[in-house]
Amino acid sequence: MNNTVLELKNISYKYKNDLILNKINLKINSGEKIALLGKSGSGKTTLISVLNGTIKPTQGEVKLFNKNFEELDRKQKSKITTIWQDLRLIEDLSAEQNVNCGLLAKNNFYFAFKNLLNISSFKKAHKYMQLCRLHNSIYDKKIRQLSGGQKQRVAIARSLIQGSNILLADEPFNNLDPKLITTIKNLMLESIDKNNTKKSPKTALVSLHRLDLLNDFDKVIGIRDGKIFFNIKRNNLKKIHLDKIY
Amino acid sequence: MNKLKLNYTSLSFLPILVCIPLGYQLINNIHFGGLKLFQEFLISAFNPKIDNEIIITIIKRLNETILIGLFSWLVSIIFGAIFGIISSNIFYKIFNIPNFLYRIIRFFLTIIRSIHEVVWGILLIQIYGINFSIGILAISIPYIAINSKVFAEQLETIDYKSFESINQINAPKFSSLLTLIWNPIINTFKNFGLYRLECSIRSTVILGFFGVGGIGTSIFLSFQTLNFRELWTYLWSLAILIILSGLIFKKIKFNTANKILSIFFIAVFFITILFSFSYFIYFIFNNNFENFNSFSFLFKSSSDLGLFDFLKLILETIILSLLSTGIAISFPPLVIGIFNNNTSKIFIKIFAFLLRLIPTPVILLTLLTFNNPSISLAALTLGLHNAGITSKLLFTNLDSQDKRNYIAMKSLGISKKTSWLLGLFSQQAKSYLAYCAYRSDIIIRETAIVGVIGSVGLGWQLQESLSSFAWQEVAIVMIAYSSIAIVGELINGKIKNSLT
Ligand SMILES: Nc1ncnc2c1ncn2[C@@H]1O[C@H](COP(=O)(O)OP(=O)(O)OP(=O)(O)O)[C@@H](O)[C@H]1O
Ligand SMILES: [Mg+2]
Repeated sequence: MNNTVLELKNISYKYKNDLILNKINLKINSGEKIALLGKSGSGKTTLISVLNGTIKPTQGEVKLFNKNFEELDRKQKSKITTIWQDLRLIEDLSAEQNVNCGLLAKNNFYFAFKNLLNISSFKKAHKYMQLCRLHNSIYDKKIRQLSGGQKQRVAIARSLIQGSNILLADEPFNNLDPKLITTIKNLMLESIDKNNTKKSPKTALVSLHRLDLLNDFDKVIGIRDGKIFFNIKRNNLKKIHLDKIY
Repeated sequence: MNKLKLNYTSLSFLPILVCIPLGYQLINNIHFGGLKLFQEFLISAFNPKIDNEIIITIIKRLNETILIGLFSWLVSIIFGAIFGIISSNIFYKIFNIPNFLYRIIRFFLTIIRSIHEVVWGILLIQIYGINFSIGILAISIPYIAINSKVFAEQLETIDYKSFESINQINAPKFSSLLTLIWNPIINTFKNFGLYRLECSIRSTVILGFFGVGGIGTSIFLSFQTLNFRELWTYLWSLAILIILSGLIFKKIKFNTANKILSIFFIAVFFITILFSFSYFIYFIFNNNFENFNSFSFLFKSSSDLGLFDFLKLILETIILSLLSTGIAISFPPLVIGIFNNNTSKIFIKIFAFLLRLIPTPVILLTLLTFNNPSISLAALTLGLHNAGITSKLLFTNLDSQDKRNYIAMKSLGISKKTSWLLGLFSQQAKSYLAYCAYRSDIIIRETAIVGVIGSVGLGWQLQESLSSFAWQEVAIVMIAYSSIAIVGELINGKIKNSLT
C-alpha cells in the first residue's frame, strides 16, 4: 500500500537572489527509508527544513498527510521529528533536560516548568540516553560541557523520545565512531516501540555522505544545486548516478 | 608632528572642554556668604551626631527606606521581566502575533522609562497626596520599563536556531516559550537584578526629599535646619546600608538546582504579583483623586507658558545634560591619570564613593551655599555624581586589565603618565565611552532632580506647574521631557552601536 505521508509539489526556495531549491517534486510514502545524497551546499539542509515546516518555500506546496502545513494542528505537526545537522540544543540546559524537551509536545506546561526546575522525572529521558549509549555521568552536564559525539547523541535522543513516526535526520552520524553509527542507525530506522510498528511503520529521510551506509535504505535521492537529479530504489543505484551529483 | 588625532582616547578627554563655559559661569556666580556653612558641612562628616535618639530615628527611617526600596525592587524586577518577555521578539514569533503590537508596547515602555522616578513621584504626590505607597509606585513605574528593556535585550540573544528546533517539537506554546527564555531570564536576575536593588534604595532616598518618607526625608529635613552633624549621621548610616546590602547579596548564590530555594523564589514571585494586583484594584477603587477630578481638567486649565519660555527651558535641559555628560566622561580618566599613584588612588576611590553615596540634591544644596543657582551648578552636581559612577566602572576595568604593556612602556623610560595613557587607558577607552553613552541616557532623566532643586530647565517648570495645578502645562512639560529623553536614547543607541 502506497500511503503518501509527505509530499512536495513544485517547491522552490529563493534566498535573496539565489535559487536554493529549484522546482522540487517529492513523495515520501509511509514506511520508506530514504537516503538523501548530495555534496556540500547542494541544499540538503534546506530541503529538510522545508519538509518539517521550518522554512516556508517561495513557491509550491508542502503536504503532510495530504493537508497543507497551515491546516494542520499541533498534534499532527508533531508527527515529524528532526535531527538537525547543527543539533540546535539549548546550550545552558543539561543533557537530560534537553532530552526531556522532546517530551514537551505530549505534556502540559507544568511538565515544562518542572523540567526547567530539574524536578521532573528523567526516567524516560535516561532510557533513551542509554539506548544512545550515553553514559550516566553526563546526564546532568550542561550541553556546552559535552564532546561533539555526546552532543550529537543527545540531539538524537531528544528526537527519538518524541516517538514520532516520520524522522528527518540531517547527517546524524557526524562525530560518531563506527560502532556507534551502527547502533544509532538501527535505533533511527527501526521503531523502538514494537506495538506501534504495525499501525504506522517508521518513515525516515536521512541525509548522509557515507555511501557504505546505504544498505539499510530502500530509496536514494540525489540532489545537486537545489535540484533532484535522481530518486530511485537503492538496488538500482549505479556509479553514473553518483557521478552526476558529486 | 604630533597632531591631535581623534581616537577613542582623545574622545574621552575632549569633553573636558565643557569646563570652560561651566567655570566661567560658576566663577561669576560665586558668593562667600555660605562659605562657613560649607566648611561646617565638611567638618561634620568626621563628627556625626550619635546619641540614642538619633539611632532610634535612623532605625525607623532606614526601615522605611528598606521597605520601599525592597518592595519597589521586587515589583519592578518581576513586572520588568514580564514586560520584557512580552516586548521581546521571541514572544511574537512563538505566538505568531503581528509585529506592530510589539512596536507599540516598546514605544509605550520607552515613554514611561523616559520620565524619571522623581517626576513620577511629584506627579503622583500631587494627584494622590503623600502616602506610603506613592514611593513604591513612583519607583516601580519607570523601573519596570527600564528593567523590561534589559530583559528584552537579553531575550534577543536567544539563538534563532534553538527557537526553530523547539518550535519543530510542536510543544504547547507556553512550554516552548518558558523553555527558551528560562536561562536568559534567570541570568538577568542574577547579573542585573541585585544591582537594581541598590538603585531602588538610592531612588527611595531621593524621593524622600520630596516627602515620600524614609532616610531621604530625614536627610532633607536636617539640611533644611542646617543640622550638618545629624545629616552626616544619616549619610553614613545610608553608606553602611548600601555597603552591607552589597556584601550580603554577593554572598548569596542563586542556585536553581536547589529545590527549596527555587520553590521559595516561585512563591515570592506569585505573592508579589498577587499582592500588586490586589493593591492596584484597591488603589483604583479607594482613591478620591483629590486634586485631579477628571481628565477634562487637562483641557480646561490654561497655560501661561509662552512658546519662547518653553523653548528656552528645553534648551536649558539639553545644555544641562550635555555639560553633565561631559564632566562624567572626562573627569574620571583625567583625575585617575594625573594622580596616578597608590595613595592618590585610595583617595580618589573614597571621593568617588562619596559622590555616589551623597544624593544629588544634597550635593547641589551644599554647592548652593557658595554659588548662585545656575545651569552650570546643576550640571556640576549631576556631572560629579555620575563621574562617581563612571569612575567606579573605570577603576574596576583598569584593575582587571592586563598590565604588561604599561609595565613594558615604563621600563622603556616613558613617563608614568604617558605609559598609563597609552598602555592602560587607551585599551579601555572604547568600552568606557560605550558605557558613558549608556550613562548619559540616565543623566538626561536625572536632569529632573537637579532641575527641581536648582531651579533650572524643565524639572523646575514641572514643579511650578504642578503646584499651581496647571495640568496642561504639566502635560506639555512631560511630553517635552520624554521627547528629549527618547531622542537622547536614540542618539546614544547609535553611538553605542558604533562603539561595540
Ligand atoms: N541562512 C542562509 N542564508 C543564505 N544562504 C543560505 C542559508 N542557508 C543555506 N544557504 C545556502 O543554500 C545552499 C544550500 O545550503 P544547505 O545548507 O541546504 O546545503 P547542504 O546540502 O545541507 O550542505 P552541507 O552538506 O554542507 O550541510 C548553500 O549554497 C548555502 O550557501
Ligand atoms: Mg546541511
